[in-house]
Amino acid sequence: MAPISTQLLDSISQELSRIPTEQRDLAVAAAQLNAQTDGLLRLDDLELLNVEPATVLLPPSEDCRAAR
Amino acid sequence: MPLDELTRLSIAEAGEHIRRRSLSPVELTRAYMDRIQRTNSEFLAYITVLEKPALAAAAGAEQEIARGNYRGPLHGIPIALKDLVLTRGVRTTCGSRILKDWVPDADGTAAIRLHEAGAILLGKLNMHEFAYGPTGVNPHYGTPRNPWDRTRMPGGSSSGSAAAVAASLCAGALGTDTGGSVRIPAALCGIVGLKPTYGRVSRAGIVPLAWSLDHVGPMTRTVADAALMLQALAGRDPADPSTADVPVPDYRAAMEGAVRGLRLGIVKDLFFDHLDPEVRDGVLAATRSLQGLGASLQEIALPAMPHASAASFAIITAESTAYHEGYLRTRAAEYGADVRARLVTGQFVLATQYLKAQRARHVIRAEVDAALRRVDAFLTPTTPIPAPPLDTREVTLDGQTEDLRGCLTRCTRPINVTGHPALSVPCGLTAGGLPVSLQIVGRYFDEATVLRIGHAFEVVSPMRSRRPPLDA
Repeated sequence: MAPISTQLLDSISQELSRIPTEQRDLAVAAAQLNAQTDGLLRLDDLELLNVEPATVLLPPSEDCRAAR
Repeated sequence: MPLDELTRLSIAEAGEHIRRRSLSPVELTRAYMDRIQRTNSEFLAYITVLEKPALAAAAGAEQEIARGNYRGPLHGIPIALKDLVLTRGVRTTCGSRILKDWVPDADGTAAIRLHEAGAILLGKLNMHEFAYGPTGVNPHYGTPRNPWDRTRMPGGSSSGSAAAVAASLCAGALGTDTGGSVRIPAALCGIVGLKPTYGRVSRAGIVPLAWSLDHVGPMTRTVADAALMLQALAGRDPADPSTADVPVPDYRAAMEGAVRGLRLGIVKDLFFDHLDPEVRDGVLAATRSLQGLGASLQEIALPAMPHASAASFAIITAESTAYHEGYLRTRAAEYGADVRARLVTGQFVLATQYLKAQRARHVIRAEVDAALRRVDAFLTPTTPIPAPPLDTREVTLDGQTEDLRGCLTRCTRPINVTGHPALSVPCGLTAGGLPVSLQIVGRYFDEATVLRIGHAFEVVSPMRSRRPPLDA
């Protein structure tokens, strides 16, 4: 599989997330993503089909704007 | 007692003097202020020092105690907060240029609870920018110096907290821990750091790094002091829905119990591979000490745990970028280069990867829970290496080269993924005089057992009487 390129990331940041980014940051991002891609794919080894995400469900009476 | 000796008292010792009225909170606060004024320019531990408010609060505590209203062991004790804990009327920078002039109009719950316990706030502590890094290197406010060797990293992200406690610039401090940010600087600076169970201490009024991984915890010179601070901090908070309504025990009393008969696990393959030899020797010597105190040791296996690193990456990058997206669009140039690059990375993590990571947490957590039904706690090194030189980028151990951030967080961030309580306790010094630390991981909401093991070890530890060469 070809490594993730800065050109690909540049397109995503411009067209999809619309966060302005510089080439030097994209190079770091590409390196980090390339280093983690295999590990993220290997999460499938954990047999997650019947596992729900560990997210917190907020009770309706609570205020989620706690920090700022 | 000379001023500098006052600043070397533990919270428990100083608190007992204050309770008996043989030490004045004003005298103690002055001693810390004197030391901060003389040495903070060298250690760079504080971003904001609150001299007048601290002395006024100390005078108030003194009068209150004289009237017979003693609040408990933190009453009159000078402490400091990592500069991401909101403080009403006091600027809260998060170690960033972006928030350099931000003055919140409310206190965080942790700040309120420490204030209600009578603690005196000396100031706000330096940190890795927005808590996003384990080195403590800060391009905006300078990098706090490691008191054991000022050419070495203090560790992060709670770098100022660790440096201040180790250098006797406060009696105790608050840190936050998303991948090891309490325990790593505690380990590199030779102090005690506790990451409580997720949900034990409120995160309300603390600027987040990653909501589902963030923990708030005490950083102190002794395990007993960590127990005293946790006592004030722990418990349900309606402002933080992730806090649990679980009874809070008397940590100090529970800590005093023996470890004889406790079963301690060692996860050899995962946590003991690719270590600095002096770290391995120090941690294994600590496990033998605990065995000598009557605890039994057994190897345990955690085959899903190696997946925690990838899960942590997806969660921390996605959540932190979600929080910072507004600043990234408008003020990106004001971030330090390392933090901005990591925040930029988060926009490329897929939603499916994030959710897969959150699903993996259930599996990893269940496996650790099952192991902790067979043992009372398990032991690991806190960091694979002692404090590295300030300019370090990579580390080579056993012929394998690793990014420094990955190396520093290797033993700590899996425990953020699972949310179990974990305590870092100093367990020795390298030949070069750098601290090495033991990590003790326990069952959910069983900080008492973790503290008990840490305290029992501390009593026999070779580090018990060792202090950094502060005035050399």
